[in-house]
Amino acid sequence: MTTMKSADRIIILFSWSGALVLTGALSAILGYVIFKGAGTLDLKLFFGDTAPLDALTLKRQVFDGLFPAILGTLCLVVLSVILAVPLGLATGIYLAEYAGGFAKKVFNLFFDILAGVPSIVVGLFGFALAVFLHRHVSREIGPCLLVSSLALALLVLPYIIRTTQTALEGLPADIRLTALALGATRLQNIRHVLLPRSLSGIMTGVILAVGRCAEDTAVILLTGAVAAAGVPRSLLGHYEALPFYIYYISSQYANPEQLLTGYGAALVLLVICLGLFAVTFVIKRRLSYNALYRA
Amino acid sequence: MSGLRERILESGFFLAAVASTAATLLIFGFMLVLGFPLLRSGLFVDLLTGAWAPAAGAYGIFPMVAGTLAISLLSLILAFPVSLGCAGFAAAIGPVWLSRPFRRMVQLMTGIPTVIYGFVGIFLLVPIVRGLHGGGSGLCVFSAALVLAVLISPTMVLFFSDSLDRVPKSYLDAADALGATPSQKLRLVMLPYAKEGILSGLILAFGRAVGDTMVALMIAGNAVQVPESVFDAARALTAHIALVIAADTESLEFKSIFVCGLVLYLFVGLMISGLRLLSALGHRR
Amino acid sequence: MSHSPVETTRIRVTDLSFSYRKRAVLRNIHVDFADSTITALVGPSGAGKSTFLTTLNGLWQTIPEARLTGQVLIRLEGAFQDIYADGFSVSRLRRRVGMVFQTPNPLPMSIFRNIAFPLKLAGESRRDVIEPSVEAALRRAYLWEEVKDRLGDNALTLSGGQQQRLCIARALVLEPQVLLLDEPTSSLDETAGRVIEELMVCLKDRLTLLVVSHYLEQVKRIADRVMAFSNGSIERGG
Repeated sequence: MTTMKSADRIIILFSWSGALVLTGALSAILGYVIFKGAGTLDLKLFFGDTAPLDALTLKRQVFDGLFPAILGTLCLVVLSVILAVPLGLATGIYLAEYAGGFAKKVFNLFFDILAGVPSIVVGLFGFALAVFLHRHVSREIGPCLLVSSLALALLVLPYIIRTTQTALEGLPADIRLTALALGATRLQNIRHVLLPRSLSGIMTGVILAVGRCAEDTAVILLTGAVAAAGVPRSLLGHYEALPFYIYYISSQYANPEQLLTGYGAALVLLVICLGLFAVTFVIKRRLSYNALYRA
Repeated sequence: MSGLRERILESGFFLAAVASTAATLLIFGFMLVLGFPLLRSGLFVDLLTGAWAPAAGAYGIFPMVAGTLAISLLSLILAFPVSLGCAGFAAAIGPVWLSRPFRRMVQLMTGIPTVIYGFVGIFLLVPIVRGLHGGGSGLCVFSAALVLAVLISPTMVLFFSDSLDRVPKSYLDAADALGATPSQKLRLVMLPYAKEGILSGLILAFGRAVGDTMVALMIAGNAVQVPESVFDAARALTAHIALVIAADTESLEFKSIFVCGLVLYLFVGLMISGLRLLSALGHRR
Repeated sequence: MSHSPVETTRIRVTDLSFSYRKRAVLRNIHVDFADSTITALVGPSGAGKSTFLTTLNGLWQTIPEARLTGQVLIRLEGAFQDIYADGFSVSRLRRRVGMVFQTPNPLPMSIFRNIAFPLKLAGESRRDVIEPSVEAALRRAYLWEEVKDRLGDNALTLSGGQQQRLCIARALVLEPQVLLLDEPTSSLDETAGRVIEELMVCLKDRLTLLVVSHYLEQVKRIADRVMAFSNGSIERGG
């Protein structure tokens, strides 16, 4: 039995305390949101005083419910992903398969910078873009769903680029050569072998991007999200979004009931984002299993 | 597929990369151009170090710079030991049946929306701080730094764990064969090897703390003053942008937010270049 | 099926040098390869044998910082072609010069689609052309009888030896004139390896084969000629 030096004892204490502190913080956050928010989860939270069916078929407006905000977030996410994925995918392919050493380094530097730019600055850019378009293109354009989606697309672009590039570059060397040795051109190789093999990595990136778009508040704060706009009606109009609602309620709640809806919204957003995250775990596990044992 | 179609597609890939880069530069460009009137009418350094008094025509963003630094540095000081401890736990000290779920838990934490941290911070933490400090509103640097620390910890933990995991197995086997305990292995073999990775993780976390908006906006109090104590309220550069956006777009006050944006962008650029330099120096070993 | 071998040159390599990251791997290689022969490439590890194979189908170009000088002429469709001349498509080259790797690398698709894959790459989509070509290739590779009832099965369910024969069939489907094999039996057991050896001897009927091999017994059994590599150059053998 060797006696442990005090240095080792400190390390063990340190590690365990760190783990306990973090776990404690997580439990506090999750616990609080679930505890306060669970009680509010009913149809009234989502649809206010409007009948659910009328709300879902967009026959009637919802005034005191989360439905417009949820729909707004949904539209935002879909639009941003549609804008970001093709651009990010193509860029990732270029970096992994075509870029030479120096070009790759330079491009990677720029995309690392893009990844590091604070979301509020991206939002500010979106706002400035809206003003610019307002002045020089059409008075119709201002901060709106379209501008927010463009800005959010820019925000998540680095995620998609990075995961595409990493997934493609991570393919083993012999996989890369197989189709080439059979007479495939570079593009055929990418299309028939490399991309299908990288799909799980790319999908993970897309889902992370979706999560990021769903949770972002800073960008939409500056580019068109408002507290009461109803269901999103046009690309050039204001809209509601779940994270914005949570922020808004936290400072503008008029009575305890309103505050409770904030907790409800927080719970809904939490479930959505954590759910998306869990999906990426499943994808990663599922697809690696498949690659080895497909029958 | 014909040769021509292929070549068009391949140029398409290149154009995509160019477009993405252009967007990155465009952000910088907009900040520069739109902040220009302010940059012109006063020296950049003056703006950075001056006080904020729009009524008197002073648009110095120094209080906000101080606010950002106070909140971010404090959060880093709080988060670093905890994160390092967690990483040590995940990579060496924790028993395998615990460390695996622990890592999953930390990964899951990175998926929690920032606004929820802010929300919980306001209603759970701030009253506690208010009680602890016996006064004030509880909306201060300390509260914001605490919440921010929890926000940035998971990413730091994962980054540190990654660096610790990268230690070559041969070193670990050697340590084991010589009878080292897990904590000795961590202290004498893994940590020294992962030094650079840990430094990079620290810098990245700092960048993340500086760039955060919602926590600072919701919890730090937003008072335009240079914080003298951690229990003072302060305003971060990021929060400043969010608050002033409602002002008159023609005013110089409004244009100050573009200067803030510029400062933040330059900070990121410096940070990334610094990291690149760090890894280049490391490789030369 | 024996007839007097026609001694016509299929490949002519002149003054070939290859370097990787400024380090010379092959130096001034001059060699000819005749039709309907099997040439074994032997030598210690790192002597350049596998690299030499890649200079004949252009696969060396996928290695960054690689440089090649010299000339390689291959007789395709009757006339000698400089395969590194401007304008000579490397994809086209690889359809006439097939390659089989040390570890079988079937693609994650059915047996049928694996063999049909090169046809698809070459732009062939007519079923009445693809199906007979696939069957012919599988027959030539001694695999048809074993898989004819399960062409739709995933290729990864085949045994190691079968997978290697699948890869050979796949390399044969476009009817190349040359087949390059890089240690084709190294990852297989003895019995499976023997089947591949028999297969190679049969194939030389219509092909020129170059085989990298570490097994001297194997070389004795199948090779018409031996090319010994040493430190990037060759010493001829009989």
